[in-house]
Amino acid sequence: MLSIRNLRVSFRDEHGHCVPALKGISFDIPAGRTVALVGESGSGKSVTAMAITRLLPTHGCQIDACSEILFAGRDLLTASRRELRQLRGADIAMVFQDPMTSLNPVYTVGEQIIETLMLHTRVGRKAAHQRAVALLKEVGLPTPDLKMTSYPHQLSGGQQQRVMIAMAIACEPKLLIADEPTTALDVTIQQQILQLLASLQKKHGMAVLFISHDLELVGQFADEVVVMHHGSIREHAPVQQIFEAPQDVYTKALLCCRPHLARRPARLPVIKDFLGEAGYSEPPQRQRGYLPDDEVILEVQNLSVEYHSRHGWFGKQHCCQAVQQVSFQLMRGRTLGIVGESGSGKTTLGLTLMRLQAASAGRVLFAGHDMLAMSPRQLCDYRRRIQIVFQNPYASLNPRFSVAQILTEPMLLHGIGRDHAERLQLAGNWLERVGLSHQALGKYPHEFSGGQRQRIAIARCLTMHPDILICDESVSALDVSVQAQVLNLLQELQDELGLSYLFISHDLAVVKHLSDQVLVMQHGRCVEQGDADTLYAKPQHPYTRQLLAAIPQGWPHSFKPQVA
Amino acid sequence: MLAFIIRRVGQMVPTLFGVMLLLFVLFNWVGGDPSYILAGKNLSPEALANIRHQLGLDLPLPQQFLLFVKQVLTLDFGVSWSTQQPVSSILHSRIGPSLLLTGSILLLGTVLAVVIAALVAYLRGSLTDRLVTLISTCAMSISGLVYIIAGQYWLAHKAGLFPIMGWSDRVTENLLYYLPLPLLLGVIVGLAPDIRFYRSCFVEEMSHDYVRTARAKGLAEPVIMLKHVLRNAMIPVVTSLMMSLPYLMMGAMLLETFFGIPGMGKEVVMAVDRSDFPVIKAITIYIALATMLFNLLADIVYKLIDPRVQLS
Amino acid sequence: MSTPSSLPPLTAANPSHNSLARLGWRRLRRDRLGFAALCIVGVYLLLALGAWSGLLARHWQDEVAKPFAPPTLFVGVGPQHVELNAADIDAASQRSRAAAAGDSSAATGLAASEDPLAADMAAAQQQAAQYRSAEAPKADSLPLGADQRGRDVLQKVLQGTATSLLVGLSGALLALAIGTVLGAISGYFGGLLDDLLLWGYSVFTSVPDMLLLLAFAAVSGRGIGTVVLVMAFTSWTGSYRLMRAEFLKHKSREYVRAADAIGASHSRRMFHHILPNVSHLLLVQFSMLTVALIKYEAILSFLGFGVGVTQVSLGAMLAEAPAELLQGYWWQMLTVTVVMSLLVTAFALLTDSLRDALDPKVK
Repeated sequence: MLSIRNLRVSFRDEHGHCVPALKGISFDIPAGRTVALVGESGSGKSVTAMAITRLLPTHGCQIDACSEILFAGRDLLTASRRELRQLRGADIAMVFQDPMTSLNPVYTVGEQIIETLMLHTRVGRKAAHQRAVALLKEVGLPTPDLKMTSYPHQLSGGQQQRVMIAMAIACEPKLLIADEPTTALDVTIQQQILQLLASLQKKHGMAVLFISHDLELVGQFADEVVVMHHGSIREHAPVQQIFEAPQDVYTKALLCCRPHLARRPARLPVIKDFLGEAGYSEPPQRQRGYLPDDEVILEVQNLSVEYHSRHGWFGKQHCCQAVQQVSFQLMRGRTLGIVGESGSGKTTLGLTLMRLQAASAGRVLFAGHDMLAMSPRQLCDYRRRIQIVFQNPYASLNPRFSVAQILTEPMLLHGIGRDHAERLQLAGNWLERVGLSHQALGKYPHEFSGGQRQRIAIARCLTMHPDILICDESVSALDVSVQAQVLNLLQELQDELGLSYLFISHDLAVVKHLSDQVLVMQHGRCVEQGDADTLYAKPQHPYTRQLLAAIPQGWPHSFKPQVA
Repeated sequence: MLAFIIRRVGQMVPTLFGVMLLLFVLFNWVGGDPSYILAGKNLSPEALANIRHQLGLDLPLPQQFLLFVKQVLTLDFGVSWSTQQPVSSILHSRIGPSLLLTGSILLLGTVLAVVIAALVAYLRGSLTDRLVTLISTCAMSISGLVYIIAGQYWLAHKAGLFPIMGWSDRVTENLLYYLPLPLLLGVIVGLAPDIRFYRSCFVEEMSHDYVRTARAKGLAEPVIMLKHVLRNAMIPVVTSLMMSLPYLMMGAMLLETFFGIPGMGKEVVMAVDRSDFPVIKAITIYIALATMLFNLLADIVYKLIDPRVQLS
Repeated sequence: MSTPSSLPPLTAANPSHNSLARLGWRRLRRDRLGFAALCIVGVYLLLALGAWSGLLARHWQDEVAKPFAPPTLFVGVGPQHVELNAADIDAASQRSRAAAAGDSSAATGLAASEDPLAADMAAAQQQAAQYRSAEAPKADSLPLGADQRGRDVLQKVLQGTATSLLVGLSGALLALAIGTVLGAISGYFGGLLDDLLLWGYSVFTSVPDMLLLLAFAAVSGRGIGTVVLVMAFTSWTGSYRLMRAEFLKHKSREYVRAADAIGASHSRRMFHHILPNVSHLLLVQFSMLTVALIKYEAILSFLGFGVGVTQVSLGAMLAEAPAELLQGYWWQMLTVTVVMSLLVTAFALLTDSLRDALDPKVK
């Protein structure tokens, strides 16, 4: 039904140079089938979607003259604006990544759906209203009548995405383009939305172009998979073939880079491993879990954190329990994983342990001393021994500092190294340890990629010789292949330096890969805690079970690397 | 809603107190002893003492401040030092012309600026857009004074299209005869900066994701502009409008001075010129009150436009 | 691992790598319009520097030409004598009373007729003028014409621009300093201190700038120093709000949290980490404030509450324009308008370019 032929798109950068975003891709979307477009950031998958609906920015973007996008026999690239408008929303509908910003904040949900209906179908307002209610019901919103008069901000993220989907299927489109529709959502919600999309696709017989960075995710309901890398197609095959017998090394790497619930190799494969002549064979599995003779390095007892907020000078005090009565032990040289969805209080917990956030009750015993009761002077030394790596590699490094400044500052503050020259020397060594060259010292953060910045952030912590490293979603913002590299680095550092990790993440597979003990949080409370393998195998709490069930399973018998 | 208004009015109390404190410090402490100004040439000690007693300047400072607070609360600022008329009656006669002038400038100026800005934002990147932006930048750079001086000279003096200056007691005569030129000049002075600001508001809104959604729905660009972007862009526009109201009252000062319109702005200039402290203090308090009320109004209008704002 | 191995000596800043500031400068240089604006502002600053140091336009007060001598190119074109009708005279006198009032009386509160020194001063000036006229012949025309007293408009406008720039730049600098320090404290520490400063902010913003300026002007005398102080005291609020919001935003950013985690003190975090990251906003704010203050100064001086009688500024020159225009002498007004517009346009364009060039989001 839709056929893309030799699509080439390039963008003009600040200097006026043309940077190719798509290097001549071709594929078809047959009617009533689901095609998944998978790739890491910068692979050009979103550009493809935008090119189909001609929503690419008009300035600085060039589509090659030989490119063709045929929809029902018509070339969309040469279609008039009028023709395009009639197609958009009616025959080709879209669902975007972030539902919060994609809905107009000042109009009600109902109004926005009715607008689409009245635009493309010749129905009256009343009929459109009834149809909209039916649509909201169809996408599974409770009390659709009430939701019609709600504004987007009054709905949760999952509900907003359901509204977006209702709007998209309103005119029975022939093709639905879903651009990372679940990336901004929590795992449990993600699963619900995926199921909804799959059932709607069957019911309405639409073709779906599903765009995602997550290969496991698309295995669930795609018929065909297109794997993209740097603006070109690496592999295009039916879903079964992609998962069971991938031909391309990049596809193989994508399948194996991500930590898996069932396996825990001592080292995760990276793309480079698959490029070699010999092929990749998996190293032996790693055993995890606290041992009886482990030494306790950090003990948290009944920790609670409250937020107080006040509006204006005379406003009421609002109190919010971010963390309630959390207790755990961290052993030297081991990893404690903390999982939870957004709003579970896991990040607050990490900040509180660093005393970057005040606790309201409880004790944090670090080598036998209560960190929460320490004076600032005493704290200074303990702070050196417990360090944190943040989530966003683009925000956690001071953009005005050179890497040398970033790395020598903590040493300067804690009196490590005799003079500047020695500190620079040490900084260079640490950089090499985390896999960067010491040439990087003179550069600034904006000259590095996300993974490299995260390595610099890790090096900054290491300069202070910490005992404990808190990793707050440290790999969540990274692409799968880079994620594997950083996870390997963390593992190596633990083995080598005997670091203890507190690994906070929403990603259960990643937590399982790295953790000895796992703590599950929900609404600020710890709902379950236990040995990693036991907890994943036999979850006790219903919430844990729900979380585990929501993990995309990919394909039952997917491609596995050989075990060495 | 009512509870919100009551609480917001309650929040004005400390601010008003602060304004009073500022004025008191300014006029009773920094400004020195005003009795020398009042006494004029005959600086006899008796006359001085007499004036000081009349003004309450012989009292200790805290009591003087209380006296001032009482004046503010009763809105009775005594008599003008230069004309000996009650300050309140002077001000009451000045509010009408000021409101007429500023109100019409605001109305006409905003409508024109929003329309042009929306048009230019819609055509962003085109020659028209760049031309309008360039002209606005140049127009903004010329001092408002020059527009007024030149406008009065050429349009009224040379061309004789308008009366040179003046004001009457009849509203219709003012509207049809005396108002047009000051109005025209006021709008011209304010137009360029407004267009630039509103344009940036529109352009910023147009880069949001919901505009992409609207396009994906198949809406035509003019509809997206008028229905989706306009309403969102009105949020910063209304804020700036409400905030600029009290400023405009003062901004019309030059126009009032040039065209002999007996408004607040002209009164302030004369009062500063004659060191007529009671009038300055009274006008400042009035304008501060107006500012606070308009801020409250802005919050309420906010709520009407933007459903995300909660008045709790 | 942690023992230093034998590596070649390291240099911290390799010149081939680019800090954000250097990238910004490079972008500004590429932006032709912005760079031209920068050059114009630079030329203005040089001229002003010349005038401040007395190298240029030192003798602006000398009456070197006949009153209202025309610009050289327009000799014979200008009005020889002007017929004024009654309405004109009436309007002009009204205006000059209202506008130029307070020329000498604002400071003392005395009307000119009551000022005991006015007569003496006028006499002294007349004498001085006569003395000078005796020794040097007066010119019939000057490059940019002459004013009522035969002073060279070119020299006057140089001196006036220097004064206006001085007032604008130093007022903006002072206002920015007050606003930044208070805003940083307010946004960074929050709590009671923030409440207190916010209260002060709300007090100052509830009175429009111009009114506040006039109220300050009413109690203080005239002169450059006073004007600068008055402007700084009334215009710090904008930078305060900006800096408060920025510090509030940045203090919970991950890089500041990371600085906290490595043990950086409050002042180090405020001034070593956050301040450089908001410096581009400060630069833009400074340039905007300067423009605003130059315009304010013009209005203040026009109304007669600005610089002193022995000083000249662009506003003070504009104050002479309405009366001159009525008699057909347009050159002083045109000169001031062109000089001021060019300055303000250059500053405005520079502000826009700075905003784009220094934006850290654009790589």
